[in-house]
Amino acid sequence: MDSDATEDQRALLDVSVRFMEETCPPAVVRDAERRDAAFAAGYRSQAAELGWFSMLVPEALGGGSLSGNGVLDAALIAYLRGGRLQPGAFVGTNVVADAIARAGGARLQAEVLPALVAGEASAAWALAATAGAGSPAAGVDARTDGTGGLVLSGAKTAVLDVEPGGWLLVTASSPDGPVQAVVAADAPGVGIVALDSLDLSRRFSEVRLDGVVVAADAVLGDAGSTAALVDHQLAVAATLLAAECVGAMDAEFAMTLQYAKDRIAFGRPIGSFQAIKHVLADTSLAVEMSKAITLAAARTLGSQDDHGPAAASMAKALVGDSAIDLAQNCFQVFGGIGYTWEHDQHLYLRRVTSDAGLFGDAAWHREHLCQLSGI
Amino acid sequence: MNDTMIDVEDFRREARAWIAANLEPRERVRAGRVVGEVTTHEQIDEARALQRKLFDGGYAGISYPAEYGGRGLTPAHEQAFREEAAGYVTPDFGVVGVVTMGAIGRSIAEHASPEFCRRHIPAILRGDEMWCQFYSEPEAGSDLAGIRTRATRDGDRWVISGSKIWSSGAYLADWAMCLARTDWDVPKHRGLTWFAIPCDAKGVTIRQIRQINGGAEFCEEFLDEVEVTEDDIIGEVNRGWAVTQTMLVYERGAGETATPTEPRALAPDLVALARRVGRIEDPAARQAIARAHINDYAQFHLGRRIADRLEHSHNPDHAVAAYSKLAAGVYTPLRARLGMEIGGPAALAWAIGDEAEGRPALDYLNGRRISIAAGTNEVQRNGIGERVLGLPREPSFDTNKAFNEVLRNARNWDGKVG
Repeated sequence: MDSDATEDQRALLDVSVRFMEETCPPAVVRDAERRDAAFAAGYRSQAAELGWFSMLVPEALGGGSLSGNGVLDAALIAYLRGGRLQPGAFVGTNVVADAIARAGGARLQAEVLPALVAGEASAAWALAATAGAGSPAAGVDARTDGTGGLVLSGAKTAVLDVEPGGWLLVTASSPDGPVQAVVAADAPGVGIVALDSLDLSRRFSEVRLDGVVVAADAVLGDAGSTAALVDHQLAVAATLLAAECVGAMDAEFAMTLQYAKDRIAFGRPIGSFQAIKHVLADTSLAVEMSKAITLAAARTLGSQDDHGPAAASMAKALVGDSAIDLAQNCFQVFGGIGYTWEHDQHLYLRRVTSDAGLFGDAAWHREHLCQLSGI
Repeated sequence: MNDTMIDVEDFRREARAWIAANLEPRERVRAGRVVGEVTTHEQIDEARALQRKLFDGGYAGISYPAEYGGRGLTPAHEQAFREEAAGYVTPDFGVVGVVTMGAIGRSIAEHASPEFCRRHIPAILRGDEMWCQFYSEPEAGSDLAGIRTRATRDGDRWVISGSKIWSSGAYLADWAMCLARTDWDVPKHRGLTWFAIPCDAKGVTIRQIRQINGGAEFCEEFLDEVEVTEDDIIGEVNRGWAVTQTMLVYERGAGETATPTEPRALAPDLVALARRVGRIEDPAARQAIARAHINDYAQFHLGRRIADRLEHSHNPDHAVAAYSKLAAGVYTPLRARLGMEIGGPAALAWAIGDEAEGRPALDYLNGRRISIAAGTNEVQRNGIGERVLGLPREPSFDTNKAFNEVLRNARNWDGKVG
């Protein structure tokens, strides 16, 4: 996606591609049974060795990025992951590591953060609720316990890649506004319920919190700073997920383009018909615009530019809509073969449609952009 | 590039100082608009005076060859100057200036003889010669190579007859670059030649066409045995198609400079419109505003990405410029529709003569210009499909037949292939 990657970045990207192709090739992506807890732990610790979870964490806290723009480095990895439909809590772990580095207390920074960076544990951001119009705090209520801690009750849904022994960042609503806490996925009162999902390459869970007691040192930020931190997390998650989505779009488009050149009908390759050619040209424009806007968002957000959150929402909105258009168009070009389980088309359709809807869909980010712009 | 070329940032500093000393600060910068409405000879003369100042200061034709009066620097230097001059009044020849300094000037520099270039390019850069294109015809638009204007050799003269249309600002121009057919017995691409014609030459009639927006920027021309000489040929006889391809690349690239800086403020025109009609809180209007702005932002970054790709590639593939043109062709009319949606009834009827209130309707009427002019969206899609994505071409009925025969066959079209 980024033709001006530095030599260091290029080396990281190359070794990351080798890792993904060896550890999680298409046969493993297709077979959920082969992606059990042991697989997840092994995949995560190898990925951590490549630095996948350190990029948003400052060096003083044990992290570090190659280019000085950790969001850009992570987005380039995310793009490669998307193209290969990779599983694992990449986006969640990076978002939560970043949040702990920014607003976590001493215990979170000393105990949880190093484990995330080292790949010993993953983290998921429990954000979405079934009701509540996309408000990040919806679904879970927090009451204070009088000692600075919280008691959390409620449920979050479509939580991405909750892994055994992992951590949850829960965004909840309290009488004083949104609050956030880091909770162990196996803490007392936490229930993780596996869900069926459209996307077959990742796992989704419902997280149920039944009077979960959170100590003060596991609460992130305070009443004054939480809303801004949540906006920042959303911007990071939106950018990384958009980058994964663009990777998947690019791969699906390449597959479709090849099919349009190979498939013969009415005595000619179907890609010679303008009805097909023009759809592919439009789709390819959507891919190019998606790449351009996602890189712009990563560059801006990772360089302490105030425009970062707006750019991230713009990328998420444009990429989300483009991805669904792309998946529909590619499906149509494949015709009947695309409706078969064996063909990879549906894996991409499922993945990009989920990317488009997670961490705020296009309409949510358009409204968010208006609010960020002060209207 | 040569070793002695001034560094872009040094050039930028030098330009900044010159601009501050020589140009007037602009009172208000109209967001997203670089090319103004230039409709009169008085406006052209005003622009000529200012252009002369740039030329004498060494800031005209920054990326044109030095031997023809330019500065011999790169597009990056040109862009640096544009950025530095953004807050100042610069020569505005309107669309005729864009065509002259862009597609026509570049095509001449690449294809015309050195004598021709010396005769015309310095005059163009000084602002003394404004040019237009005699290019499309009433019966040849997207199929440009199908033009029927005829140029016949008569001793050392050429005699040109035919009709042209959609020439932007031709009534303001001094010269025209005219495409004519010089051989009818070969396939269509191989019998074309470009000529320079003075707009006031005997036999040239230029008429403004009244457009749906009430303006009359486009013209039609009638060429009745217009005489030119061998010296007026641009490129080679019957090899005009090569020149055309250069011209198209620059035409399609022209959209890229439409917004020189990253659009950051949320679609200011649409926000103002929504406030005016009391819909700033309306979720539908907010979605429309955000949609328009996101597309503007994505188009800007697409343009920048493509420009970078062309600039840094050892073997640049100019076909990718079609992405910028297609994006403009798709998103400009869409933006205009969103404006109409936000405006509601107030965009359908407004106080007589109130230009601000009439703006959404005007944008709506103008929205499809960019999806039709200088290569329709469909032509761009073919270009992307075939030249960027490598999809096979449609079967063609005319590329290997003499053009005379093509016309005869088309008149008796029976739907049979081959």
